[in-house]
Amino acid sequence: MADVALKKVKVSRQSPTQRLSGFFKKYGWSYVFVLPSLLVFAIFTLFPVLWAFVISFQDFRPRGGGGWVGFKNYTDAFTTQDGVFVQAIKNTVFYTLVTVTANIFIALTISSLIQPLSKYVKTFFRAAFYLPAVVSAVIIAVTWRWMFNTQWGFFNYLLGLVGAGPVRWLSDPDIALNSIILSTILTVPATGIVLFTAAMDSVPTDYYEAAALEGAGAVRKWWSITLPLIKSTTLYVVIFYTIASFEIFEKVYVMVPSGVGDSTQTIVTQIYQTVFQQFRYGVASAQAIVLFLLVASVSVLQFRFLKSDVEY
Amino acid sequence: MTEKNKLSRRKFVALTGGALVTGGILAACGETATPATTTNAATSAAATTSAAATTAAPAATTSAAAVTTTAATTSAAVTTTAAATTSAAVTTTAAATTSGDFITSKSGFKGTLNYWVLGYTPGGTGSAFNKSSDSAVAAFSKANPDIKVEITGYAADNAGFAKIVNAVQAGSGVDVFRIPNDSLPPMIKQGAIAPIDDFLTAEDKTDILPNLFDLVKVDGKLYAWPLWVPPVAMYLNTDIFKEKGVDLPGMDWTYDQFVEIAKKLTFTRGGQKVYGYSALVDPGLVDTWPIIMSDGALPLDATNTKYTFNTPEGVSGLKKLVDLALVHKVTPPDFGTQKQDDILTAMKQKLQAMWSRPSGDAGTLKAAGLNFEIRPIPIGKSGKPISAGGVGLVSVTPNKDAAKQKAAMDLARYLTSPQVEKDVPGYYLAPGARKSVSVVDPYNKFTPIAATAWITPSLPAWTQIRTLIHPNLQNAIFGKITPEDALNKPASEINSLLAQK
Repeated sequence: MADVALKKVKVSRQSPTQRLSGFFKKYGWSYVFVLPSLLVFAIFTLFPVLWAFVISFQDFRPRGGGGWVGFKNYTDAFTTQDGVFVQAIKNTVFYTLVTVTANIFIALTISSLIQPLSKYVKTFFRAAFYLPAVVSAVIIAVTWRWMFNTQWGFFNYLLGLVGAGPVRWLSDPDIALNSIILSTILTVPATGIVLFTAAMDSVPTDYYEAAALEGAGAVRKWWSITLPLIKSTTLYVVIFYTIASFEIFEKVYVMVPSGVGDSTQTIVTQIYQTVFQQFRYGVASAQAIVLFLLVASVSVLQFRFLKSDVEY
Repeated sequence: MTEKNKLSRRKFVALTGGALVTGGILAACGETATPATTTNAATSAAATTSAAATTAAPAATTSAAAVTTTAATTSAAVTTTAAATTSAAVTTTAAATTSGDFITSKSGFKGTLNYWVLGYTPGGTGSAFNKSSDSAVAAFSKANPDIKVEITGYAADNAGFAKIVNAVQAGSGVDVFRIPNDSLPPMIKQGAIAPIDDFLTAEDKTDILPNLFDLVKVDGKLYAWPLWVPPVAMYLNTDIFKEKGVDLPGMDWTYDQFVEIAKKLTFTRGGQKVYGYSALVDPGLVDTWPIIMSDGALPLDATNTKYTFNTPEGVSGLKKLVDLALVHKVTPPDFGTQKQDDILTAMKQKLQAMWSRPSGDAGTLKAAGLNFEIRPIPIGKSGKPISAGGVGLVSVTPNKDAAKQKAAMDLARYLTSPQVEKDVPGYYLAPGARKSVSVVDPYNKFTPIAATAWITPSLPAWTQIRTLIHPNLQNAIFGKITPEDALNKPASEINSLLAQK
């Protein structure tokens, strides 16, 4: 007993330098191996993010100058241009809610339809559905812009065949954002399909066999076995699509480059406009920090509600 | 070692992260720091730019100039100083440059200059911008075999202007560039532009229209070589006029006559709709603004210190534009959101009769074999013809290599000279900024129109102001708000921007 007490006293007398030295002795090599990756992350991700945070409190100018302005950039972010940033947040949240829900539903449905197929057919469909993901987002947006053209676009041509239309898909402020949402929904959610099919493949077949013995049908098995057991993948896919939707830019930028009033403004198009067209770096950084906080908050909520403790 | 005293990896990472964030917050909450000292002479000059540019003196319109401009009044106060300080430099440079020889560079520079051209499409063959720029650069390179010039293109819209401004502000990859005057002030403010005073000869000073110099003058220094004044005019697709048996209007046609013609030229041809009129509505362009100004309104007052678009004349002018879409229905359904390609295609395919647009596209349409005529913008209640436009400029970025800086200035000078028009006939796509430049058909048709043009002001806040006006104009065109609301909504924010020194 006395020995143990003596040992404790000795350890607690270690100086911080000794403790640090002990830490590096034990873990030093681990950090050496991850150092290149950490450096790239620090230079190209961490540093710009921290710098943006600092700039958001400055009247920043790229070639020098500009002092600290406290929270002025944050108040300006919400009040400038008659409060268009608030409209941009509303548009982005609406876009995210609709497209993430639809993408998850479509990806789950397609994956469930592919899952029972044979190995080779499954591989074919996975590849086929993933193909759009390798096409440039700009090319996809240009194609959609053409299809939505009021005078000679594909959609109005179809409507014309049944005597309807023409619809001003990208020039009516009440419709334009919905048209952009429609283009996102109708573009197959390739990443979701690949991840869901992989997750479904990893669910042990024993559960399905047991459920079949109990008389469960296909829908019941899907609802009670597949969905709960791929919950962790669902969480990942939901967060992946949520972040991507919050950062929607190139589609809006290509499809409606001059905007449609403020009806198609999203958070990132507004940030782009503030920094690259108005050169207000501080205000744009403040808007970027607001975007970061929004995405982080939504992700935390999603973790909270979709967290899975299922192991198999 | 006990667990309590052990420095875990998690703790280590958390402590490091915490220290970084705390440092950032402490820095942010600290006292206002002294702005970083700039070593660039241009920057220190630019530090007072906004005050100089926004402090206006009474209008001093010069009859020799081919433009009536409110922006021309911006720095009348510093004109005398500029003339005094540049005279010495002029003597030196004049001695170094052979009179009348604009093409030979005596810089001694050997290497590559990067020239960014507005409206240039890499590999494009049909664009007038491509042909004129390629030929001019080829002529310069032939006369100066040691200097290679590489061209980069950027689009003539808000996105394109953002691209060039950011490339210039980044400080690399751009030596010489073409830009409209209203996009220049933010770059001067950032110290990203080299003053041209030391490279300007006495002949240049007397040849270039003096009020154009006022648009590029900040704190007594000149920051760009004026190239041309491309005013917005009305392109008439004459084949459609013939097809419908409509006579071409006179030079003094009115808005009511314009509406009547547009109505006659809006019809269906073989299942395809032909529209009487359209134009680009973009925050970077003023193609529809002459119609808004036709009843006598101007966007800003003569001193550029007050927003004046929301006067009764401005409201009735915007109503004229809005009525084309909502009442007379002579515009395509996507009017207000169309891209340049949409309208160019419609003009070439004879699906659009009239287009208000600056002179630059005249060459493109001519090259495409389109039969067209040019007319001034129809006259409104003001009873006077009015146009709008920016001044095309060629600017140079600062370079520590004196030889390269001189070579870039020599290229810029050549590209804005009368000699380039002789070397490359048809180079000028708009009335020139020099008295000695004469332009060929169809650009010469724009020369009388340039005299009536309101020139976009050279104000640092202008890029922000036009972004504030734009969505409101769109919403009025879409019928979502009244013309009065559209022009009133941005008023207070614009006035507070104009009030900032």
